[in-house]
Amino acid sequence: MNRPLLIVSLLVAAGLATLPWLGSDTMIQFGINALLLATLAQSWNILGGFTGYVSFGNSVFYGLGTYGTAIAMTNYNLPFGVGLAIGAVVAMIAALLVGLPILRLRGPYFAIATLGLNGAMMAIFSNLPIAGSNIGLVLPLTRNDAMFYELALGLLVACSLTVLWISRARFGMGLIAVREDEDAAGSMGVNATRYKVAALVMASFFTAIAGGIHAYWSTFVDPASAFDSTLNVRMVISVVFGGPGTVLGPVIGSFILSTVYEVLASQISTAAALLFGVVIVLAVIFMPKGLADILRSRRNLTWRYFIRNIRENRL
Amino acid sequence: MTQTAAKPGPKTVIEARGITKRFQGLVSVNAVSFSIAEDEILGVIGPNGAGKTTMVNMLSGTYTPNEGEILFEGTRINEVPTFRRAHMGIARTFQVMKPFPGMTALENVTVGALFGRDGGEKSMPAARERAREWLEFTGLGHRIDNPADSLGGPDRKRLEFAKALAMGPRLLLLDEVMAGLNPVEVDEVVDLIKKMRGKGIAMLVIEHVVKAIRSLSDRVMVLHHGEKIADGDPTAVLADPRVIEAYLGKRRT
Repeated sequence: MNRPLLIVSLLVAAGLATLPWLGSDTMIQFGINALLLATLAQSWNILGGFTGYVSFGNSVFYGLGTYGTAIAMTNYNLPFGVGLAIGAVVAMIAALLVGLPILRLRGPYFAIATLGLNGAMMAIFSNLPIAGSNIGLVLPLTRNDAMFYELALGLLVACSLTVLWISRARFGMGLIAVREDEDAAGSMGVNATRYKVAALVMASFFTAIAGGIHAYWSTFVDPASAFDSTLNVRMVISVVFGGPGTVLGPVIGSFILSTVYEVLASQISTAAALLFGVVIVLAVIFMPKGLADILRSRRNLTWRYFIRNIRENRL
Repeated sequence: MTQTAAKPGPKTVIEARGITKRFQGLVSVNAVSFSIAEDEILGVIGPNGAGKTTMVNMLSGTYTPNEGEILFEGTRINEVPTFRRAHMGIARTFQVMKPFPGMTALENVTVGALFGRDGGEKSMPAARERAREWLEFTGLGHRIDNPADSLGGPDRKRLEFAKALAMGPRLLLLDEVMAGLNPVEVDEVVDLIKKMRGKGIAMLVIEHVVKAIRSLSDRVMVLHHGEKIADGDPTAVLADPRVIEAYLGKRRT
């Protein structure tokens, strides 16, 4: 990402910050959801995009963030900020404990290992009295969508700046080397396990904060919505659609997908999910490297680009 | 055939003492001992399946020997993980080349400079500068910004070499860096390796190109069915009837 692009991105972010004064309530609510999903996608990108390790366990960190905030605020009457911090710390500890054993697994085995986590967490929280068992918790009501919007935007900017730093730092070079060839990376001195765990812990931090913001905004938390595995699928789709391992790809990708889904849902409510699926299938067939790759190669972007993608990726 | 390592002089960098590697029943490397000193080039030859790459994998950390000891600058490293051996100063190239395909040549080599011996260069600009120098050194200076997967065979070999050198190694393991090159390119690589002499690096060179081995090596070791059958002066070893037999079979009488 070069300097002009960075300046433009920051200007766009500043422009987005004015939305609460200009947009309608529906716009702001759509914005909060879109910004939170973009943050989740960007966090997923830290491990998934840079190291190529596909995690289905990020929704666990989201759930821990929501419950951390909810339990702190309802059971202990702690302020929102403290709740967010507790959720984030719990999620990071969980990422460390989960990451150390299973990030030694390679490729698909890692993905499979993370698949079980979500269900396990849902079962645990359904039986925790402190978390309201399977009824859930109701948080104190705050009708201040503008604040939630600005918080979500700030979190997305912070997460994206972190990814920008990673993309330029020694740390990021190590992560990319692991993605490109883990054996070669190891023989060149990259401590692959430590790098992957660090990436997962960073991802868990932003994911948990996003969960906490969503919990306070929606004022209600239950196991099914906190540990929602389709949320994790949405993170993966947004990153793959936008461009894994890039700084802006996951953000733009998730914005576009949120918008497409919103438009489809408001126009033709019943067939929305179906059409959304079609959009994703077409995207994966014609642009498996994501939007970022299309923008990068826009100079020689002809139908050949799409044909080549199909040819390279068919079995 | 006498070993030169016994006499005092250059420091021994790596020493293998009776290392053995078995895969279930198959003995790939059988009780092989050798040592390489600073600024020494040990050529390793042997027919396919003789255990040459397995040996390199034991030195670099991919495999742990079932028996025997590996000493790096006097320290036992049998169980030391690969990345830590890289920090100690062991660098290797892969027979099946492993460039990072999505990175440019410069980024590939930068990884070596960032993570190699002693954890490498900590600052990106310094690492990039060092990578640039090694790309110039290996003759890839004009292809710095090309993606690694766009490089042809010979250039990929150079890239592998540059990546290993950028790590600032004490021991360099070169696994068939000349395979698939034409005679002119082989000479270029031989010159590159000779240029590395005098920098205090111990080198182990696995090669099938006998001409190259003869002109490069201070000593030649021959592996056959996992066992060391010869070790010594290149000319003497390559004239040894047992070595010729291992490569070409027995002369019919």
